[in-house]
Amino acid sequence: SGGTGALAQWVLVELQGEVVPRQSEGLAGSLLGDLHYTCEGIPVLIVGHHILYGKVVQLEKPFAVLVKRGGAPQPSPAGPHSHYTVTALIKTKLLFKTRPKPIITHVPKKV
Amino acid sequence: AAMRSRAEVDVTLQTAKLNPAELLPAVHCLSFGPQAGGGECCLLQLEPGLCAELEAGHSLVIRGEKDEHAVLCSKDKTYDMKIADTSNMLLFVPGCKTPEELNADPASCNIIHSQIAGFSNNYWELRRCRPKLKKLRKLLMEDPYDGPDSQKDQTSTFSKYTTEDLLSLIQASEEEIFHQLQVIDACKIEGYWRILNFDYEMKLLNHVTQLIDSESWPLSKVPLCPCLEELGSLEPREMVEHILVSYGRKYVDAGEVFFEMREDKICRAIAQMLLQNAVKFNLSEFEEVWQQSVPEGMTTRLDQLQGLALVDKSSRPETIFLLKVEDLPEDNQERFNSLFGIREKWTEVDITPYIQDLCAEKQTVGALLTKYARSSMLNGVKVYNSRRPIS
Repeated sequence: SGGTGALAQWVLVELQGEVVPRQSEGLAGSLLGDLHYTCEGIPVLIVGHHILYGKVVQLEKPFAVLVKRGGAPQPSPAGPHSHYTVTALIKTKLLFKTRPKPIITHVPKKV
Repeated sequence: AAMRSRAEVDVTLQTAKLNPAELLPAVHCLSFGPQAGGGECCLLQLEPGLCAELEAGHSLVIRGEKDEHAVLCSKDKTYDMKIADTSNMLLFVPGCKTPEELNADPASCNIIHSQIAGFSNNYWELRRCRPKLKKLRKLLMEDPYDGPDSQKDQTSTFSKYTTEDLLSLIQASEEEIFHQLQVIDACKIEGYWRILNFDYEMKLLNHVTQLIDSESWPLSKVPLCPCLEELGSLEPREMVEHILVSYGRKYVDAGEVFFEMREDKICRAIAQMLLQNAVKFNLSEFEEVWQQSVPEGMTTRLDQLQGLALVDKSSRPETIFLLKVEDLPEDNQERFNSLFGIREKWTEVDITPYIQDLCAEKQTVGALLTKYARSSMLNGVKVYNSRRPIS
């Protein structure tokens, strides 16, 4: 359901590849990276040793973010499908499709 | 993990050889929130209109039992749901500002800690579909209403459905469900939606048409109150009014309620009553009996029976038999298989009433025939048959 009050607006960040936790404890709490914008509005994401350049895209078809409401399964005829809540809407995405530019942190000096 | 500081951000910028002067002052430090990996969030791609509905505070409902594909229902439309995979990773970030938003708010601080709420490599896609309403009739036919004298009703309460029951069991939007209840002439009796048993329905109709005849009322102006007065001793007044509403068009004239009786619908019901008693009928005999059975002043026509009965022009003599579209499968392919099992070759005129309801929003009968049938010529007439061999 939509619920009362204005729905939050979130943003989608679209990256190539998979998200893999660096630590064994999993993802929660770990940093992804820093998101900047150039003065022209181009998003720049620094992830680890990579710089990703992207673009801001207004979605033709916005997304709704659904959150499963867990809890005791009720013996209702509606089955398992009915317990979702719309938490937020997403109308904008930051699309990072360019290949990451590696950040070179140490350049050996030529002798 | 401790939150990044502006100083740490600036060092990273330096290392990356990015010029802060070319960047907006604010940075978002993205980290994964506590629930991020939990998979409890998922994305639903919205068709036009749905976003506005959600923002206006309306609900969307996902409906479907374990053996059904899930559908999404807005107030008045139904959509199939399908998972779409992407090769990319989609992260959902609350509180992440766009460049426009940052520029519009010059006082915004220069470091924003954003927690990624979740991520996914797929999302739900929606496609508008026909509401799945066949089940509605099926549920209500489990226990058709037989009249107040029926013993059944007094003892059982199972297989009776309230509005709430129907809303949770039928894969259709609320408006589509209510519209269909009207189409099938369902009525609410003691809080439950009921369909009348056909024989009981014909009994009620017969009371009304006999009264119209004995009172010599014009078919276009049947007064409600006298009907209720005269017939109220024979049948519940709600049932008398229900049959008038089902088979007539209500209007008010000089403060009184009248009904314009619907000739086509009455003739059609009487035809059903005649046809259901045998496998098939000699067409000309049927037409004679049918005309004699309808109220005085009404004229029967075969086109009143579209989607109810089928004429076999190839038999000698020509015959007619009952074939109700509502008894046929709801799925497109299954419907065509069923029709081609009944008759190998169909003209467009004959098959149209039996596939009309399959048309999607902007789809034509012709498009359906192109997809599910193969055409050929038979005696100079275009006919359609199955694309596949029928076993």
